[in-house]
Amino acid sequence: MSKYLIIIVMLFSYTFGQSGYEIAKSADERETPKDMTTDLSMILTNKKGRTRTSTLHSVSKDNAEKQIIWFLAPADDKGVAFLKIEHAGADDEMRLWLPAFNKVRRISSNQKSDSFMGSDMSYEDMTSRTLDEYSYELLGEELLDDVLCFKLEITPKPEAESNYSKFITWISKDEYLTLQEEYYDKSGRLEKVRTIKYAEQKGYIVPTEIFVKNVQTKHSTLLTFDELKLDTGIEDNLFQEKNLKRLPR
Amino acid sequence: MSSKLKNWSIRQSLDHPVRTILLSIIFTAIFAFGIKWLVIEDDMMKILPQDMETVQTWNTIKDEFGSTDIMFIAFGKPGESVYNENIFRTLWDVSNAIELLPNVYEVMSITTVNRIDGDDGFMEVSNLQPNRELSAEEIASIRKYIEENENIASRFVSENGDFFNIVVKPIPNAKTDVFSEQVLGITEELLSDYTVHYGGQIYLMGTMPAILTGDVARLMRVGVIVMAIILLLSLRSVPAVLMNFTVIILSLLTMAGSMGWLFKLTGSDKFLFSLMNTSMPMVLLTIANSDGVHVITKFFKKVRITKDAREAAKITMESLLLPIFLTSITTISAFLTMIFSPLQQLVGYGISIAIGIAWAWILSSLMLPAMLSLRKWKMDSKAIKKAGVFERFIDAVGSRIMRYHKIVLASALIVVGIVAFGIKKLNIEVNIMTFFQKGSEIRNSLEFLDEEMSGTMDMQFRIEGDIKDPETLKQMEIIQEFLESHEKVAASISIADIIKMMHKAVENNDPNYEFIPETRGKVNNLFTLYSMSGDPEDFESLVDYDYETGLVTTLMSTISTTEIAHFVNETEDFIDKNIDEDLSISTTGILVVFRDLTDKIVESSFISIFSSIIVICIIASIFFKRIRWGLIAITPLISSVLLTFGLMGWTGIDFSHITAILSSVIIGVGVDFAIHYISQFKRISNRSNDHTNLTNEVIDDVGYPIILNSGSNMAFGALLASTFIPIQQIGGLMVFAMLSTSLGTLTLMASIVEIFKNKLVEKNKEN
Repeated sequence: MSKYLIIIVMLFSYTFGQSGYEIAKSADERETPKDMTTDLSMILTNKKGRTRTSTLHSVSKDNAEKQIIWFLAPADDKGVAFLKIEHAGADDEMRLWLPAFNKVRRISSNQKSDSFMGSDMSYEDMTSRTLDEYSYELLGEELLDDVLCFKLEITPKPEAESNYSKFITWISKDEYLTLQEEYYDKSGRLEKVRTIKYAEQKGYIVPTEIFVKNVQTKHSTLLTFDELKLDTGIEDNLFQEKNLKRLPR
Repeated sequence: MSSKLKNWSIRQSLDHPVRTILLSIIFTAIFAFGIKWLVIEDDMMKILPQDMETVQTWNTIKDEFGSTDIMFIAFGKPGESVYNENIFRTLWDVSNAIELLPNVYEVMSITTVNRIDGDDGFMEVSNLQPNRELSAEEIASIRKYIEENENIASRFVSENGDFFNIVVKPIPNAKTDVFSEQVLGITEELLSDYTVHYGGQIYLMGTMPAILTGDVARLMRVGVIVMAIILLLSLRSVPAVLMNFTVIILSLLTMAGSMGWLFKLTGSDKFLFSLMNTSMPMVLLTIANSDGVHVITKFFKKVRITKDAREAAKITMESLLLPIFLTSITTISAFLTMIFSPLQQLVGYGISIAIGIAWAWILSSLMLPAMLSLRKWKMDSKAIKKAGVFERFIDAVGSRIMRYHKIVLASALIVVGIVAFGIKKLNIEVNIMTFFQKGSEIRNSLEFLDEEMSGTMDMQFRIEGDIKDPETLKQMEIIQEFLESHEKVAASISIADIIKMMHKAVENNDPNYEFIPETRGKVNNLFTLYSMSGDPEDFESLVDYDYETGLVTTLMSTISTTEIAHFVNETEDFIDKNIDEDLSISTTGILVVFRDLTDKIVESSFISIFSSIIVICIIASIFFKRIRWGLIAITPLISSVLLTFGLMGWTGIDFSHITAILSSVIIGVGVDFAIHYISQFKRISNRSNDHTNLTNEVIDDVGYPIILNSGSNMAFGALLASTFIPIQQIGGLMVFAMLSTSLGTLTLMASIVEIFKNKLVEKNKEN
């Protein structure tokens, strides 16, 4: 009896609705700009409410597979620059320009759980997921801030080498935008909640604000995107070590 | 006490004995109902006075950097290197299991610490132990890194390389006992194949109170049984001993219940039953026993003559109601002086024990005579017909004291003088190591951690300034160098150490660069570089979020409060002379807090002793209507205090917060003896004009209960069998205190009274 029930549910789902995988695929295949230039404001807040604010200038290409970030403020950090180039099937390339030492230092990328710039985002959080390395289960539909969303449970397969046990993701039904995501640690405890706000520009829907709260450490990160410029024709040769030293005006 | 009240008491007790007994039980039950709310607090942190400067600094540090308390778990197999996959696997499991405990804030071990590597333009912050399962190459790499980094080696691997150390920090305000219990739950399960040593203040404070109270409770039970046997041998009457214990038990229930009621009604932590309150049952027991023994021995003496229980009880009450009232009021007043103690726990101690004493007085004055009068005593029993051994002994002593009173006085004064000289040698200090017997498990662990690891104690220096400024970091380094030059300091850690490690790493691991960079820009670049691969919380215990306050933590071997006081003074002196005035530096940590706490306890003990003696002198002067009597009443107290503390000086017993409780016992019991003696002296001298045998008669009358009292209280010599050295010392000193208070009354005070007999009698008559 139960076998038949499962088959009926699957057929129903196949005929009338999308599977978790299909929803994730639709979100992943959403059209994004070829390049993006923005001024970022990053506010880190610790559990006691103390804050650190940084201003950064970021240029990225190919869905942030190539990215260069210059630190503009605070004064102590001005001039520090970061370059990241993702390589499919190989470790990412990451370099940091340290103006006081007059040196570029390569940074390890094999620790995916490491925090990025003291924020609550790890390198894994910032890297786009390879669709087939995860399994997807549609938990249902839910209203999130008046937006009807698919609620998906995403579980990493071993090949994903993820530092999380699962994710619960809210993807808007209309635009397939990831609006909120919960990250569960290896022991199954909720670790972080990420919420993303979007705006439309040049026909693209792009993030304007990302807020990540680590519920375990009570530390949070607010990333705001200002002065967004899309598809300006950024050349590949910008993403070179020598350009780290050239602080944009 | 007015004769109206005395007569009323006698009527209530002897005309309505059943009603009196029932009412006593009902009221005790009402008091005892409060036990429901009695909270036994094993958390030592609760007893710290929050207004103490070092406690405030400590709280600030906890707020800024998280808990500074540390528990150490060293495990391994003696003689077997830790560099093998099995022990790494265990270390991984234990570290991760402890990290998941709700009261654990942080676990530091080879499994959880980071390594900072730099080579060929590359810098990486990664886990020192990358996985649970390690290859031989990975183990070799970890070993190489540890051996190259003394700071990590000294904290996490034993000198012989056969033990790993896990450092566990609790969440702020975690209950020490719950925290320790949870951690031990994990280690006992996962480390059963290894030799394990535990240490750290939080561990000791978390486990010691429970073990200590358990040990004291066990020995107290033995003491009570011995006390019962002594009483039984002397009184030779089971019902009499049971009656005495009824008074004691009801008084104890009332004291415990009143503490619960007061906690319920006030909600104040003053009325929590903590480690400092463990002496309360013993102190009340001795005092309640004293009242009961006086009543019963007097009753037996009188029933032997009158052959009538009611009549004997009446005479006993007429004779003892006033002295028992006086002894109770003086002891209550003495304990109530604790209200002025700087330690809030002692305020609750004083109030609750005062209630217990007051109830013991009421029960001895009303319920005990009622019980004695109700019982059908066999007049031909040995207990009634014949005097006991103690009684006969005291009769013999009394006549000799009277005959040789000058020699007795001179001898007593010489003994007191010689022994009291030892006070000069009295050492006021607490050394946790000496709490435990040599060869005991805890002592072995502490010694192991001291010798093989970085010790079990820690101290913090909070430094306010611009932490990114190289000058500030260099000053931190100077302080650390000074601290590490002290023989008890095994290691110190601060953000300056991390900066030096990162500087080395960024310069391709060149050891020549292991120093504080010269510019603020470089320091800042290092922090930024670290943030690209480390966690934001990695420096949480070393520097605050705004880089305005840094923390230097020293890891030390076991140190006494005297040593810590010297160390702190030397360090503060060094800081004054060598460190920039712009930097604000404060010292704290559980050790420093403990030093101040001990000072406070000792200070409050001395205040309590002196104020009690003055209060007792005033009350005795008022009731006996002469200052002279007040002064005489405190003679045995003063001699006993001098003798006990002198003996402690001579024998090298430290005056600590634990041994300080003896002063309460001495005052509580000593004053009873003196007042009974004086009351009886006045009664007998009023009866006739022939005072030739006055002293002899007084000693005959009160000497026996005093000696029996003292002898039965000596049962607490059972504490000598404790596993804790200070408790053993209390057991021994308790025996000595009983001897000194009873003999002080029956020799020193009796000879003084004999010498000034005529004057005292004249004055007495005038009144």
